[in-house]
Amino acid sequence: MSSQSDVRFTDFKSDKQPTWCPGCGDFGTMNGMMKALAETGNDPDNTFVVAGIGCSGKIGTYMHSYALHGVHGRALPVATGVKMARPDIEVMAAGGDGDGYSIGAGHFVHAVRRNVDMSYVVMDNRIYGLTKGQASPTSRSDFETSTTPEGPQQPPVNPLALALASGATFIAQSFASDALRHQEIIQEAIEHDGFGFVNVFSPCVTFNDVDTYDYFRDSLVDLQEDEDHDRHDYEDAKEVILDGDKEYQGVMYQDENSVPYHEQHGVTEDMSEIPDGAPEDAMDLVREFY
Amino acid sequence: MLSEAFLLAGSKVRLNMAEDLNWAVGGEAGDGIDSTGKIFAQALSRAGRHVFTSKDFASRIRGGYTAYKIRTSVDNIQSVVDRLDILVALTQRTIDENLDELHEGSAIIYDGERSWEADIPEEMSAVDVPLKSLAEDAGGAIMRNIVALGAACEITGFDVEYLDEALEKRFGGKGSKIVENNKEAARLGQEYVQENYDLDLDYNLETTDNDYVLLNGNEAIGMGAIAAGCRFYAGYPITPATSIMEYLTGRIEEYGGHVVQAEDELSAINMALGGARAGARAMTATSGAGIDLMTETFGLVATSETPLVITDVQRSGPSTGMPTKQEQGDLNMALYGGHGEIPRFVVTPTSIDECFWKTIEAFNLAEKYQTPVFLVSDLAMSVTEQTFEPDAFDMDDVEIDRGKLVDEDEVDEWLDSQGRFRAHANTEDGVSPRAIPGTADGAHMSTGLEHNELGRRTEEQDVRVQQVDKRNRKVETAKEQEEWDYREFGDEDADNLIISWGSNEGALVEALDYLEDEGVDVRVISVPYIFPRPDLSDEIAAAEETIVVECNATGQFADVIEHDVLERVKRINKYTGVRFKADELAEEITEKLSQEVPA
Repeated sequence: MSSQSDVRFTDFKSDKQPTWCPGCGDFGTMNGMMKALAETGNDPDNTFVVAGIGCSGKIGTYMHSYALHGVHGRALPVATGVKMARPDIEVMAAGGDGDGYSIGAGHFVHAVRRNVDMSYVVMDNRIYGLTKGQASPTSRSDFETSTTPEGPQQPPVNPLALALASGATFIAQSFASDALRHQEIIQEAIEHDGFGFVNVFSPCVTFNDVDTYDYFRDSLVDLQEDEDHDRHDYEDAKEVILDGDKEYQGVMYQDENSVPYHEQHGVTEDMSEIPDGAPEDAMDLVREFY
Repeated sequence: MLSEAFLLAGSKVRLNMAEDLNWAVGGEAGDGIDSTGKIFAQALSRAGRHVFTSKDFASRIRGGYTAYKIRTSVDNIQSVVDRLDILVALTQRTIDENLDELHEGSAIIYDGERSWEADIPEEMSAVDVPLKSLAEDAGGAIMRNIVALGAACEITGFDVEYLDEALEKRFGGKGSKIVENNKEAARLGQEYVQENYDLDLDYNLETTDNDYVLLNGNEAIGMGAIAAGCRFYAGYPITPATSIMEYLTGRIEEYGGHVVQAEDELSAINMALGGARAGARAMTATSGAGIDLMTETFGLVATSETPLVITDVQRSGPSTGMPTKQEQGDLNMALYGGHGEIPRFVVTPTSIDECFWKTIEAFNLAEKYQTPVFLVSDLAMSVTEQTFEPDAFDMDDVEIDRGKLVDEDEVDEWLDSQGRFRAHANTEDGVSPRAIPGTADGAHMSTGLEHNELGRRTEEQDVRVQQVDKRNRKVETAKEQEEWDYREFGDEDADNLIISWGSNEGALVEALDYLEDEGVDVRVISVPYIFPRPDLSDEIAAAEETIVVECNATGQFADVIEHDVLERVKRINKYTGVRFKADELAEEITEKLSQEVPA
């Protein structure tokens, strides 16, 4: 295994060329993830990336690490299992807004509650890209698509609020195009003691002509520049997360007293190590039935 | 009407009543029926008697009817029979529900001071014991069931002292006062019957010096999992699989493992998959609709070549069905569940001790062949407790085979020219090397997409065919390298062949005695592997008659057998929600043998 000093972010890059549309936000999102992983002292052999299904799900192929590209919506359960069995491994789950907030929404709520020490990057483009342009759970109410000609006519899911309501200990948002800030924020999510959740604005240049690079560039407010915002203050977090008028980037909330799952439950062993036969004192298990 | 029912039951009595006793306690859910029964079962086991228990229960927390039944003998027993000798009835319904099993020699213990007036057929011995009052004398009405146990001891000639150890085990955690009160309650019950009744019942329960352990199938699966090195369990509570999770919770941690309760079965199987990808021996267990949800991930387990044990403790379906009732209706699901074609193993333990051994085998198969292994048990086995010699679970006999798990040095042999790990290498036996996270140079992706040797997505026709063949070849390799044998009972040369799978084995083995009395010779084959499975062509060809016995309506295993041998077989199917009983099965077999084979 390489030591921290000689790992470069390109070590996390596979030799497979992405097939994302030119200009897709996922390029920037992935670059930031690779840089953040390298910067936090990880290397591909001690990192496990779990990818969902969708354009974002291809990230497992384009990155180099131990990885599983699984069933639609189930990236978080898989990542949870990996981390519980191997607390020594850096675990990152990545998927899209459909994967995380629609088919996987149930898992999202519980992964947040569980507070397993891992990061979760959602590449949110507010559209279903791989199936060629249907409404996603974060699509705007009036966003017209092939399956919603009048727009979904439902309010979009607010994933940050969902996380906050579920007891999140780290909630952040970034923008794929603001490379440096994006990388910093992912890095903080990795370093956070618990479940580090980052919703990334990752524009779809092919099917979403509303939530574009220009739109985010013009509208994003960076919390880093807001001196009044205290990320450790729950009320401050609530205020920006529930603010329907603005789009923010930065760390909205971080619980200073976060106790990750493995500490709470004493899950610290490398479970891949087992004896060649039954454990030495296993007959005690039989004797219990006397 | 009552007398007709019990006379019918009485006619079936063939066992030596002194040696073989059938006892039950019944009442409403919430009456402490389970713990009362368990205490008596443990006392009998400690007295060196064999015990086989069964439960009648409903899916509710309070009310309804529930019973805990014990059959006990000095000989080994492995089935329930249609006979009840001693019944502790806390409600009239308990008596009514069991009329067809009660007979003229039966004794019914009840509390005449309670508000209900017991309607007991006059041929039976009505033993009216003021359970509640005596319990209050001992320290509290809550102990009325223990008073009844003491009364049962007196009736059966079983020394009340044997209850002491079981009471200590049960109530030890609540302090010595509680334990002493319970012991006193048992003695008050015993003395009351001794003083007030002179029953002429031929019971005198013998004891032996044998030390038995008493456990159910789910406990055996849980214990087998720990013995096999399973360290990660993810599950979602569902009857009757939950007790596997409950067994592991609090125990697996002692060995460095962990149990996590997932938000649903979709999550549970994916968590277990994650644990397995990370290198742990991992398992999930479920039943009913839970296995439906998990079906989504079967294909991923197979294509990502992940070693995973998926346990299905079958219950009555479809849909919510009868959640607390027995059925073997998921065989097709285990064999064929999931879209596409999924290489897998289906292992079906046939007895409680085999639940232990087959669980260990399931983990070895999973890791050796890196594919899903379905461990299919059923409700009857999951709630039934049976006594065994402790050596039946000799941990020294546990063998662990982790298959082609490669370390850092071995990884090098499996890198391509560009230094990339070939996690899905197309090997001769179909099994690829397996590197787990943390192994240097072993980093790779696995996926539910069709992929090449590196785990990279592909739709190239030749690679697709290569990978499908490779995965299927693992099953072919396993067919050659592993033993897929069956268990056999009865007369090997008999003209009549009975084939069964899963928990019916015990009832069939005991049915052999009844059939022998009738002069019917049969050979019983009990099959613990459904895929791959033993080839039964020769056995079926050698028999004049073949009957496949299973707890479902359509004969799922019979279909498989007919497909294998291209010949019709007779079928005995039971789907009432109650397991086969030895005596009933013997009758059905006799009847079926006289019928024509279906066209």
